Amino acid sequence: MQALEQEIKKLVIETLNLEDLKPEDIDPAAPLFVEGLGLDSIDALELGLALQKAYGVALASDSKENRRHFASVRALADFVSAHRKS
Amino acid sequence: MMRRRVDRLGRIALQAAYTCQGDAPPRPMVFASRYGDMGRSVELLEQLAEASPLSPTSFSLSVHNAIGALYSIARGDLTAQSAVAAGAETVEAAFVEACGLLSEGAPEVLVVVYDEPRPAPFAHFPEQVSLPHAWACSLRPAGDGATYRLTCGASTGAPERAPGDTLPEELSVLRFLVSGDARFEHHTGSRLWRWHRDS
Repeated sequence: MQALEQEIKKLVIETLNLEDLKPEDIDPAAPLFVEGLGLDSIDALELGLALQKAYGVALASDSKENRRHFASVRALADFVSAHRKS
Repeated sequence: MMRRRVDRLGRIALQAAYTCQGDAPPRPMVFASRYGDMGRSVELLEQLAEASPLSPTSFSLSVHNAIGALYSIARGDLTAQSAVAAGAETVEAAFVEACGLLSEGAPEVLVVVYDEPRPAPFAHFPEQVSLPHAWACSLRPAGDGATYRLTCGASTGAPERAPGDTLPEELSVLRFLVSGDARFEHHTGSRLWRWHRDS
């Protein structure tokens, strides 16, 4: 799971062009949106697309569920490992 | 956090805007670019051609007024803005737009001009931009000091360029504005734009 978290941190940095950040700067339990990394709704869409491409996971349009999956790197890793197709 | 979304063209345009505006209060702005952020559109078209999902970030930034919009968001500045593109006459169109805003009562208008070479597969078409560039200037209604006039008429054909003049055409208006020259004629197809400086 830690390896997957590391992978997702890299994906977040590359996808969103977080040029000043390294994977170790991201706390896997910290919020990704608004607080923490301070990402916004366009980032969420971009990240959803990247996860879909990398792992074949489909995100539902249910925003409550998504909010839970996107809460942190750790939550994303849990979601990906439960639903990944690749 | 917004800087990471902006490519080279946006960065140079915003740098010019920030430098020109400084700490001055908000004023209406005209963003002018002949080709805009064409790289984004190419990226989106390629994704469409591959039938792969479009990048939401690129989609949101592919419109011609995206760079101005980012400036407005980053500064929390709600002043009016327009985004202009008018081929070889883009700079003139921006100044006409700015004069319109001045005549409506704006005390000052900021004009930002920016372009970069078109990416493949559009690079080989004529009238390619030679180099990435951005500049900005502030326009006020005529008062003390040098004033400028811009008129438009029919062109009877562009004259030969002076030998040794290697300045890219897209920078010729900027050269006139900073040169202190009394006049400059810009032939664009069937039209002739005449720039005058009255000291």
